[in-house]
Amino acid sequence: MRILVIEDDAATADYIAKGLGEEGYVVDLARNGRDGLYLALNEPFDVIVSDRMLPGADGLAILRALRASGITTPVLMLTALSEVDRRVEGLEAGADDYLAKPFAFAELRARVRALARRPAPQAEVTELTVGDLRMDLLRRTVTRASRAVELLPTEFRLLEFMMRHPGQVLTRTLLLEKVWDFSFDPTTNVVDVHVSRVRRKLEAGGEPPMIRTVRGAGYILAPPGAEPG
Amino acid sequence: MPWLRSFAPRVALLVGAVVLVASFLGAGWGWLRAQEALRRQLDLVLAADAEGLLRDYETYGLRGLADAAAVYARRGGPLRVLLLAPNGHPIAGRLPGAPARLRGFATLPPQEGDSRLRALGAILPDGSNLIVATDLALVDRAAAALAWSPPIAGGLAALLALVLGFLVARRLERRLAGISTAARAVMAGDLTRRLPEGGSGDEFDRLAATINAMLARIEELVAEVRQVTDDVAHDLRSPLSRLRQRLEAALAQARGPEADAAVLEGAIADLDQILATFAALLRIARTEAGAGREGFAPVDLSTLVEGVAEVYAPVAEEAGRVLRAEVAPGQRLPGSAALLRQALANLLDNALGHGSGTIHVALRPGPVLTVADEGPGVPPEERERVLRRFYRLDRSRNTPGTGLGLALVAAVARLHGGRVALEEGPEGRGLGVTLDLRAGGASTGRGLPEAPAGTRQDP
Repeated sequence: MRILVIEDDAATADYIAKGLGEEGYVVDLARNGRDGLYLALNEPFDVIVSDRMLPGADGLAILRALRASGITTPVLMLTALSEVDRRVEGLEAGADDYLAKPFAFAELRARVRALARRPAPQAEVTELTVGDLRMDLLRRTVTRASRAVELLPTEFRLLEFMMRHPGQVLTRTLLLEKVWDFSFDPTTNVVDVHVSRVRRKLEAGGEPPMIRTVRGAGYILAPPGAEPG
Repeated sequence: MPWLRSFAPRVALLVGAVVLVASFLGAGWGWLRAQEALRRQLDLVLAADAEGLLRDYETYGLRGLADAAAVYARRGGPLRVLLLAPNGHPIAGRLPGAPARLRGFATLPPQEGDSRLRALGAILPDGSNLIVATDLALVDRAAAALAWSPPIAGGLAALLALVLGFLVARRLERRLAGISTAARAVMAGDLTRRLPEGGSGDEFDRLAATINAMLARIEELVAEVRQVTDDVAHDLRSPLSRLRQRLEAALAQARGPEADAAVLEGAIADLDQILATFAALLRIARTEAGAGREGFAPVDLSTLVEGVAEVYAPVAEEAGRVLRAEVAPGQRLPGSAALLRQALANLLDNALGHGSGTIHVALRPGPVLTVADEGPGVPPEERERVLRRFYRLDRSRNTPGTGLGLALVAAVARLHGGRVALEEGPEGRGLGVTLDLRAGGASTGRGLPEAPAGTRQDP
């Protein structure tokens, strides 16, 4: 897995490069927009992590240039501004995800991983399977082994997202954003409540747990006994 | 003449010039018309005089007519008569420059210092020619007198306009000097200074009143910014000091991997809290600055409220509480879904964190959104204050939260052209927060219910 990091702030760039390197990614660093765009246009990457404000060419300009040249590499945009409207602007320009600085490394890792594993667009998926857990997206039903699991709509959405990203650490912020469209952290433990409800329902028949809590980071859905990847 | 640089005299000068040119053009045309009219009148007189002489001719014959012509000539009056024999020789009377024979009207050119003449000729039955004529000078003078009045009036008008312009300019100068002085004082930093108002209610007073209202708003905003800066300094200094103490204490201790990890984790948690406060402050600031209004899109508020209530119902249940939502369908407004969602989530966080009992979420047509609980509520005298940044009730100081939740709600309401009101919850207990978005929901133009009692009127 090869990742391009475009970031002008040396401390942040090294922090990201070191962290992702320890995760086993090959990291290329570009310190300004021009170099970043050059690298992105000429070499294959699995994920691009780009700052939004850059000397040379800014993050949005790079993004537009990439998309205009038909390069669909997933881009995670970093920004010092956490405003919603800026976020929308970035997503509209073709960013696949958006992360506000400063961020916990676990958050960045979770998002990079989600982007790197994003399957190429394929035929409509109608069923998701993780271990003995099956989700029928057409009938909106979930079964564990052969036991039917009754889920509320919001719980269904949560489980669907987790099943689309099995074995990955999903942070609370990521879940809030992707499942409920909350671009902020509520003071109440909204995510924990919903996850623990889904978890209880998945284990109601005495099955082994599938959702693990990663302390200080978030949650992982994986087949029982599987090591998180 | 510095006052010439002023607006009013320049307008006066222009008006004067236009009036003068127009009246001169008018004078030329008027002279022609007056001259023509007067000449026609003169022709009638000439015709009547000729008629009289012809009657003499019929009664007394050519001799009688010649006598009459001789009398006219002797008298030297305005009417001149000339009688010519058929061969062109004068029989009686005198008319210098007369043609040898004239039938009908003619204007004769001036002769040696004399003025132009208007003449009427008639051929008598015996072939002799009677010519009567009169001076055109009178007509010319009258026409000129008539034609000259407009330019004279125009000149006077131009002069008056100049004087008036000068006076207005002096008055303008005085009014503007007052405004300018006040504006300079404001620029120099005296934000309490206001423009002078004359009290007459003229357009200057109205402008001054508008600018004064603007200055009041600026003063208010600056005071608010100052307040916020103080609040930020205070509210961020305490957690930062706490963090510093924690790290300092840890540094003084013996190194141990587990203890260090615990301290570092605690430090990160502290920092996250500080960052969350920063993010909330930024968001409020941007919302209050009206940012994001350009990104407004139609929002289905009914669906949004239902969705958020669905997310929070299990959270309430887990806390041993009940969340009830009554949502009127089809409530739409142009707005920011993200901010409206966060505003509602903040209200629900508050109701869960600081309230107690059942939480009632109601979206009524308007749209008017209310979140109420059955907890201790907020005393009426504190209600205005809890909408401010960082303001927290004494009993809430130890519950989690940044003290910014309601401030954001208020900012979101204002961004959408609505307002926030704090009241009692149902049955007079607890706190009911109403987000009145009717001004923003102009699309729902049907008969709107009366504003709830105690609704705060935004200035």
